[in-house]
Amino acid sequence: MASSLDELKTAIRKALPGLDVVIAWTAGPDALSHAPLFITEEADVARIEWDPRCSQNLAGYLPGLRGKKAGIVAKGCDVRSIVELLQEKLIDREDVVIFGLDCQGAVDARSARAALGSSRGVRDVAIDGASVCFSVNGEPRFFSPGEVLQSKCFGCAGADAGLCDHFAGERGLPPQFGNPPESTLERLEAMDMEERLRFWETQMSRCIRCYACRSACPLCVCQDHCAAQSREPHWVDQTDHPREKLMFQAIHALHTAGRCTECGECERACPMGLPVMTLKRALNRRIKDVFDYQAGIDPNQTPPLFEFREVETNIKEREW
Amino acid sequence: MNIGVFVCHCGSNIAGTVDTEAVAKAALEYREVVFATDAMYACSEPGQAGIVEAIGTYALDGVVVASCTPRMHEATFRRTLERAGLNRYMFEMANIREHVSWVGKDKAANTRKAAELVHMAVEKLRRNERLQAGEFDIAKRVMVIGGGVAGIQAALDCADGGLEVVLVEREPSIGGKMSKLDKTFPTVDCSSCILGPKMVDVAQHPNITLYALSEVDSVDGFVGNFNVTVRRKAAYVDWDACTGCGECAAKCPSKKTPDRFNEFIGLTTAINIPFPQAIPKKASINANACIKLTKGKCGACAKVCPTGAIRFDQKDELVTEKVGAIIAATGYDLFDFTKYGEYGGGRYPDVITAMQYERLLSASGPTEGHIRRPSDGAEPRDIVFIQCVGSRDKSIGRPYCTGFCCMYTAKQTILTKDHMPDSQSYVFYMDIRSPGKNYDEFTRRAMEEYGAKYIRGRVSAIQPKNGRYLVKGADTLLGRQVEIEADLVVLAVGAEAARGAGELAEKLRISYDPYGFFLEGHPKLKPVETNTAGVYLAGSCQGPKDIPSSVAQGGAAAAKALSLLSKDKLASDPQVSGVKLARCIGCGKCESVCPFGAIEMIEFRGMPKASIIETVCQGCGVCTAACPQGAAQLRHFTDNQILAEVNALCL
Ligand SMILES: Cc1cc2nc3c(=O)[nH]c(=O)nc-3n(C[C@H](O)[C@H](O)[C@H](O)COP(=O)(O)OP(=O)(O)OC[C@H]3O[C@@H](n4cnc5c(N)ncnc54)[C@H](O)[C@@H]3O)c2cc1C
Ligand code: SF4
Ligand code: SF4
Ligand code: SF4
Repeated sequence: MASSLDELKTAIRKALPGLDVVIAWTAGPDALSHAPLFITEEADVARIEWDPRCSQNLAGYLPGLRGKKAGIVAKGCDVRSIVELLQEKLIDREDVVIFGLDCQGAVDARSARAALGSSRGVRDVAIDGASVCFSVNGEPRFFSPGEVLQSKCFGCAGADAGLCDHFAGERGLPPQFGNPPESTLERLEAMDMEERLRFWETQMSRCIRCYACRSACPLCVCQDHCAAQSREPHWVDQTDHPREKLMFQAIHALHTAGRCTECGECERACPMGLPVMTLKRALNRRIKDVFDYQAGIDPNQTPPLFEFREVETNIKEREW
Repeated sequence: MNIGVFVCHCGSNIAGTVDTEAVAKAALEYREVVFATDAMYACSEPGQAGIVEAIGTYALDGVVVASCTPRMHEATFRRTLERAGLNRYMFEMANIREHVSWVGKDKAANTRKAAELVHMAVEKLRRNERLQAGEFDIAKRVMVIGGGVAGIQAALDCADGGLEVVLVEREPSIGGKMSKLDKTFPTVDCSSCILGPKMVDVAQHPNITLYALSEVDSVDGFVGNFNVTVRRKAAYVDWDACTGCGECAAKCPSKKTPDRFNEFIGLTTAINIPFPQAIPKKASINANACIKLTKGKCGACAKVCPTGAIRFDQKDELVTEKVGAIIAATGYDLFDFTKYGEYGGGRYPDVITAMQYERLLSASGPTEGHIRRPSDGAEPRDIVFIQCVGSRDKSIGRPYCTGFCCMYTAKQTILTKDHMPDSQSYVFYMDIRSPGKNYDEFTRRAMEEYGAKYIRGRVSAIQPKNGRYLVKGADTLLGRQVEIEADLVVLAVGAEAARGAGELAEKLRISYDPYGFFLEGHPKLKPVETNTAGVYLAGSCQGPKDIPSSVAQGGAAAAKALSLLSKDKLASDPQVSGVKLARCIGCGKCESVCPFGAIEMIEFRGMPKASIIETVCQGCGVCTAACPQGAAQLRHFTDNQILAEVNALCL
């Protein structure tokens, strides 16, 4: 990764004079996840970090920078969010410069912390095929990918190098892991309706309504005007009850149905560790079945729920 | 707000399985309900008077009626409210008949459910607004699709009533099936003699524009303002120049073209006028048969045409017509009997359809009215008629009775005897269905005066035998097998929906049954309306019908269109979408999903915002589901109203 990082820095240095800002990652207060870095002058370039701790999807910053020329460093999964933003005309292609990277997987800070016992002393993280190595105070500690990486890495299809304006490292190689850990969606599907409801009641009773999940979502276009706080319409009320909290999650899931790229930011942001992406994944699965569509793949496609067709290609209501 | 609740017994329809008194009592507990009662028939005159009186006595601002479906009486009760001085939208209906009493027998459960539905209606009503209808201009023009006898009647009646009519017919001539018939039951008068003058009237009527050889391409708009795009298919002849002299057909060397009008018995030329009485009387070229169009050489017709009307380079042309109402009169098609192996599956030349037989009987047909076997041109003596071919047979998906085959078969046996006194007709039938005026007498005459031998039973096989056909069947009345040697077999093929009926229904947004026949608005009370305002039905497109019924329905549909378009303006429905500018973030998602193009993006204080074109909005609500902000709201069905209903039920 060291060579990709050098390549990346060179590319950014070269492009910077034509850009207002470049968004990348740098070492932050938490040793297990890097923080965003907004580069406006060349001196900042040296601070860029690139390793499996660059988990945050930076695409969510782009709509807010509309009108400016922005560069963005993006993993394969992050590129899907950028594609979706382009599809929805929330950003302009000519104002965005994408720096793609050869990602081998990204750390899930919460489970890594649990596995390590603490994040203190972590100096470096590297992925070598079947194991993830954390060097803690100079000592290597090895884990299997399922224990410490984000679940989305297991289904990764690789970076869409085609959309990237620059690419550092080897193009389009997805990480290769076997045996993804069992997902919450799979566990839920094995339950009956009553059990599912109880599951959500238990989870949602822990929600503190901070709306970090919403703020982290790169596709929540409404942000400060969120329907969750509106009284006209009055979709969610202030009762401290799992019902109202789940109602908000249902709204969020429905608003992102067929748009959500499953980048995982909502779950990464949740201070309570609630599995809120599960609802979005369940809806995406339906969208895939019904419309044969996956969000964030082709910038020229219209998401199926954003157009009206009298006859849907994949819904055979009438045969003639 | 003062709300009054009226719980209807509907005689015993509701009261039989719902404790209406208990429902009224429960309603008194709901918020802002100041009056609740049960009523024998809420829609009856005393029932409505009771509502008007209660509105006065209790100073009601809104009314809930718990009774039947709103499709039945919502309009009735809205008028009641208006009579009492309330806004018509301060009304809600709880359907406790179709949704409760008719579907469940458990009285306690039914009563509970009815009370819950009333509760929902009350909670919604508490959030209703006094909406006002606007008005919009309408086009006083009608489009009739299909120029069979039903469509012709509808077009003539509308035109006589002063409306401009556009008649669209996909064949080169109007007339439909009736123009192919020889004589018609039950009077046995000549079909062309009674239809011909009507066809001429269509051609000559100053209010009628006829597009023959044309089909509907697309339909936009709504009642009062439909925009219909019609595809005028290439005839390869300039119809403005063509005089219908027929010189071209006389010279056309492609003389072996199968003759569509004559049901493919006999041959015609590549360029032809389908029949002498055709309207419009214009020539058209069958592109598959034309030597010039297929091989590039010939052009004989162009050389002889005295007006130089031939246009080998003619293309389909699209024209758009604005009309206020549409009458669908696309008729029926005939069942393809080759699906039945027992009748030879189409392999025997002398096993023909009844419509082909009509062409043999007709003086303007391929045999000039002499009955001749297609195989050898010989005059047949023994003729077997088989009824219900493709009717009343579940196994082939045609469980319904076509209704007119019994009658036309009887007619054909009578005509056969008239043409050939020495002939003998045999009819295999399942039941004789002849309930029309003078119909039963007619079938009796066929048997008693014209000596047709009727055999009740089905035919199991037809086998060729020495140039004739051995028809094997059962006589179920005598309980024995019968075998008849016939020279000719005529199959009474049943009716099925016209080819492409389903596609047309989709374009018109009207419903159709599993067989493709268009659905009327109500089987008894709205037989010519559809569930789409401004679209009416005439003739066999709604279900097989004989000529008298088709003509009657054509007239009825015309009356409906005339009464609709007798007004200068129609009231617009205020139940449309609206965008709250303060909430709209201008994302444009609503604009991209609206099926009717009713949303435009505007700029408001430098910000993009969505705006609804109210006359175009159909109130479908798709935008309100797409808007993440809840900024787009459907009036009378706002999110808050719907949530209030859900909460009434669930909390
Ligand atoms: C063998 C036979 C004998 C009969 N004899 C008698 C009789 O003696 N007496 C009697 O009362 N009835 C008789 N009938 C029944 C009679 O044919 C019908 O009642 C009558 O034709 C119905 O008229 P219509 O206008 O509804 O339909 P049709 O006659 O079918 O006319 C429909 C018209 O619409 C056109 N069309 C269809 N689809 C489209 C489209 N998408 N766009 C534009 N145009 C379209 C068709 O080309 C056709 O011209 C007989 C039927 C048969 C089969
Ligand atoms: S981030 Fe977590 S705690 Fe906060 S609102 Fe979302 S689900 Fe609830
Ligand atoms: S309700 Fe919305 S989507 Fe439907 S027609 Fe009206 S504006 Fe269009
Ligand atoms: S979907 Fe809603 S927020 Fe977006 S433009 Fe339409 S009304 Fe405005």
